[in-house]
Amino acid sequence: MSSPLERSSPVALVTGASSGIGAATAERLAASGYRVAVHYGSGRDRAERLAAAIGGAAYAADVADPDAVAVLVGRIEAELGPIELAICNAGFYEEQPLAEVTDAAWRRTLRVMLGGCFHVARAVVPGMRRRRAGSIVTVASELALVGGIGIAPYVAAKAAVIGFSRALAREVAPEIRVNVVAPGPVDTPLLPDRDRQPDYTATIPLRRIGRPDEIAEAILHLAGATFTTGQVYSPNGGVVIG
Amino acid sequence: MSPVALITGSAGGIGQALVTRFGAEGWQVAAATHRGGELAADLADPDQVGRLVERVLDRFGRLDSLIINHARLAMAAVDEHDPVDWWRIVDTNLSGAFCLARDAAPYLIAAEGSIVFIASEWGVSGWPRATAYAASKAGLIGLTRALARELAPTVRVNALAPGAIDTPQMEVDARDAGVSIGEIRARYARGAPLRRIGTPTEVAASVAFLVSSDAANYTGQVLHPNGGTTTP
Repeated sequence: MSSPLERSSPVALVTGASSGIGAATAERLAASGYRVAVHYGSGRDRAERLAAAIGGAAYAADVADPDAVAVLVGRIEAELGPIELAICNAGFYEEQPLAEVTDAAWRRTLRVMLGGCFHVARAVVPGMRRRRAGSIVTVASELALVGGIGIAPYVAAKAAVIGFSRALAREVAPEIRVNVVAPGPVDTPLLPDRDRQPDYTATIPLRRIGRPDEIAEAILHLAGATFTTGQVYSPNGGVVIG
Repeated sequence: MSPVALITGSAGGIGQALVTRFGAEGWQVAAATHRGGELAADLADPDQVGRLVERVLDRFGRLDSLIINHARLAMAAVDEHDPVDWWRIVDTNLSGAFCLARDAAPYLIAAEGSIVFIASEWGVSGWPRATAYAASKAGLIGLTRALARELAPTVRVNALAPGAIDTPQMEVDARDAGVSIGEIRARYARGAPLRRIGTPTEVAASVAFLVSSDAANYTGQVLHPNGGTTTP
């Protein structure tokens, strides 16, 4: 049984919340009074522990599958209440020379990263529009702005997330706001070891990689920034300036 | 021997202008369109992309420039767009472009050639009821930046993000907006500081520049022939 206080808490969905930026965002949202649907793809134990710790609930789904995401959103709204805030964060990072990228790897990258945004948006937008309130934050990457070697699928997918989010922001205004966080190098399981080395971090204007809670803070800000929509905010330590 | 350019979407408004311009500059043009002919291909299908590149090499023996100009566009609200159709747009425009670049890269490296992606202003600024198209075109700009770094210093990779261009696409936009073609042209023109829409020949001229030796110091760049609409 949920208490009246819990029932009146706004509900947030965070995809890919079993680790890294997603987990930090789920914690930060719970601390701000949200009931959090902690979505995971594969990290079930971590997601369930986190959900228990923050008074949320853990949910599994393949974000690459539009039908599975529709079912996921239906379950969350039936069990926790209407989703007011959706954080589309699920993703992974792989490096491969262009010639070695298989059709399947390309497809999976696009379906998880871009599909994770489209499939969530199409499922939550009708309810948000009906209630005339909602906020969506997608998680792209600083790499979408500058590119990189051996990561063409990742960069293309994250750049596509930005284009998708800008189009969506125009489409669902004024009831719903859509913004993008494009983090630079952050201390998560996805970060290549190379980016933790002093010879790399010395090139970052702020001389260090970011912490997941710093990205969570940026996401929380955009989620509640009432005059902000269609914007890309890149907390990146100064890796990209201009 | 004259250099060879593979131009996709060659039957469309901008495509025809590209074929004409490259032909006039002495290129051998491999003109591909889904509408038929020797180089017909469904570019959403990676196998057909691979076979298209093979056919171009069989026929012409080399490939110097890859001009990715094809696009699929359908307008629909995000929650009303059938996911299969939505993905068909992304897979045609973005996955097709990626597979073409990957499969053509060895030949472009051998020729020290270049790639130009035709993106869109909608991929930069977004547009309502065009989330798939905007995502695919923004993805092309990302691809431009990634491949420019990866294929440097041998192959240059750039993009164009045209604004409203006077092509048959205007009819689609007019239908979606529920107005006449004249009104949609006027509407786009009013939205641009230069007070007009662009022409396919202007777009083709920018592509011709990007593949030429005049643009030898350009890679990873996006040009915006749009009459000034995205001026910050």
